[in-house]
Amino acid sequence: MHAIEIDGVRKQFDTVRAVDDLSLAVPAGSIYGFIGPNGSGKTTTIRMIMNIILPDAGRITVLGHRSTGAARDEVSYLPEERGLYKKMTVRRLLRYYGRLKGRSTAEIDPAIGEWLDRLALADWADRRIDQLSKGMAQKVQFISSVVSRPKLLILDEPFSGLDPVNAEALKDAVLEMRARGTTVVFSTHDMSTAERLCDRIFMIFRGRKVLDGSLDDIAAEYGQDTVRLRVQGGAAALSGLAGIESLNDHGNYQDVRLSIPPHAFLQALVARAEVRHFEVKRPSLHDIFVRIARPADHEPAAGSGLEAAS
Amino acid sequence: MSRIWTVAETEFLTLIRTKAFIIGIFLMPVLMGGFFLFMSYAERQIDTETRAFAVIDGTGVLYAPLAEAADAFNRASGEGGTLTGPLFEPQPVDVAGRSADDVKVELSDRVRRHELFAFVEIPADVLDAGADSPIRYYSENTSYERLPSWLRTTLNEAIAVQRFDRAGVDRALVSRLTARAPVSTFGLVERAADGSVSEAQEVDELTRFGVPFFFLLLMFMSVMTSGQHLLHAIIEEKMSKISEVLLGSITPFQLLAGKLLGVVGVSLVLSLVYFGGGIYVVASAGRLDLVHVPTLLWFLLFLVCAALMFGSIFVGLGSACSDLKDAQSMLQPAMILVMLAYLGSFLVIRAPDSPLSVGLSFFPTVTPFAMMLRLAMPPGPPLWQVVLSVAILLASTGLVVWAAGKVFRVGLLMQGKAPNLPELLRWIRA
Repeated sequence: MHAIEIDGVRKQFDTVRAVDDLSLAVPAGSIYGFIGPNGSGKTTTIRMIMNIILPDAGRITVLGHRSTGAARDEVSYLPEERGLYKKMTVRRLLRYYGRLKGRSTAEIDPAIGEWLDRLALADWADRRIDQLSKGMAQKVQFISSVVSRPKLLILDEPFSGLDPVNAEALKDAVLEMRARGTTVVFSTHDMSTAERLCDRIFMIFRGRKVLDGSLDDIAAEYGQDTVRLRVQGGAAALSGLAGIESLNDHGNYQDVRLSIPPHAFLQALVARAEVRHFEVKRPSLHDIFVRIARPADHEPAAGSGLEAAS
Repeated sequence: MSRIWTVAETEFLTLIRTKAFIIGIFLMPVLMGGFFLFMSYAERQIDTETRAFAVIDGTGVLYAPLAEAADAFNRASGEGGTLTGPLFEPQPVDVAGRSADDVKVELSDRVRRHELFAFVEIPADVLDAGADSPIRYYSENTSYERLPSWLRTTLNEAIAVQRFDRAGVDRALVSRLTARAPVSTFGLVERAADGSVSEAQEVDELTRFGVPFFFLLLMFMSVMTSGQHLLHAIIEEKMSKISEVLLGSITPFQLLAGKLLGVVGVSLVLSLVYFGGGIYVVASAGRLDLVHVPTLLWFLLFLVCAALMFGSIFVGLGSACSDLKDAQSMLQPAMILVMLAYLGSFLVIRAPDSPLSVGLSFFPTVTPFAMMLRLAMPPGPPLWQVVLSVAILLASTGLVVWAAGKVFRVGLLMQGKAPNLPELLRWIRA
């Protein structure tokens, strides 16, 4: 059973092809991370899933429904930041959003109380949104998307700008939603959050799918060509060796991307210098993201710096 | 349908809680009432001064009747008791061989020293029939009208008396023969079922202008309050990405319908409050005859159409803007429509039956205002015009709501530069 199935979807705005021949299946009950640089088609994809805009070609099935908006009441969407009426009180806003999902006040009031308690906002229920801090407003926003108990929850950058305590509380809340059987899709720029939280990752770049799968799958696909090593003589000892595609010298150790299998490289290396450390490195999601999305004219040194930081 | 109600209810409750609405609904009648009270108080109270003025009487015979008339005027103003008007105090001037210029310079100085309020120079030949030398009135305070206008009337009466006497004509006969016949304005006469002819009703200013004006103001107030609110609400929703949340839950049509329904509700409530207040006021003034139920019902119909039409225009424009700055330039065409309706109304109020007024009644954005005025002003337009204008209005309201829906659908998710008119038209056609 899939919560979302996207099949051969295309969407064009004037001359820009925002999404091109995209296919994707999000299993029910999973946490799925949507990553990609700005302007790569994430928001367009999410809007098509939400049925806010329609694809030019292809089909999208959400919670088993194909017809327009049939699944709407079971899907909640949280746009990045904002999305709240500043002049409404917290409770009135939560009720309004819940009722727009077709729930009665009697149904959602207990859920509102429960979530406000859980996220330490109970004292703020009758305050106006514009009296809340940014972190509180973000939590209210999250609550507004879950009080209707959706089967599918789509979050756009839910953790950006939150302090560690609130980020932790929200992360627990997301995990809680999954435990209750909700499928969670969230888009993020924060690769470490995606790595910690997501069962599967989907990356879109220039309207096309470039990554899709579990973290292990992705690491297996991208992860067999980088080694970290320490040799007697440092980076100088490596010069002239065959199979080095790029070298990132950290001083005490070197990261090398290879164009030949690691074991073949190791044999050549052992013949030349004393090897103190040799590790086939699993690349971080960050490395993979940067490797795919780095502009062609980007300075390699800057890219290496990012890799070192991860 | 329940989603539309949810939106309408929230929209309604939000709007009637805004400060602008609450202040508007209470402040407007208070201001209007205060204005009328002040005006009538000011009219009664303002002028109880003694106005001394000198009279250079070149004829030698006009001062006496003038002084007599001033005494009568002062008695009417309540001299010796509570004053309800000014007192006029004429003083004769003895020229005593001085030149006219010397006398006038001296009198002017006395006016400057506030010993006198004004002085008047009556030329010697003013009694000759056909004389064209004017009576001259000199004052520092040239905007004060009561004294010169009283002088104009009083002196002309006195001059006429002298002229008739000189010509040997019997004054009493002349005044009987030239007495003015009064003209009063009445409505039409009807023959009742029992054959008796009903008393024709006298039509006063209040019926002719007061009631239509009340309707006109109320209609404008409702349209502008709800239009402004919609514009700001839509832009806020767009700027804070609420639109995306809403569209994730309901269709653009449901959202638009809910919003329009909300403001129609507000307009109706506003009008009913004012109807209540208006009826209370005219009833306590004993003028319940001013309340005409069919006119009230017509008003509600036109109000609903106007709220829908202008509401849609403002929603469409609002959804095409990304911030309030855009909105100001986008608003211009809408404000032109509103101004057209406003100016058109004044043309209609002057001549409800003129071809221009009839034409304006069929121009959709003007119809609610023009037709309402004509309906409220006796005898009212022919039925076929009312029916035709309502038909045109309903059809065009439908069209505008439909077009606004199209713009709304595209505009809500559009960020950045506001579209120009050709782009808007393309959205509508899409």
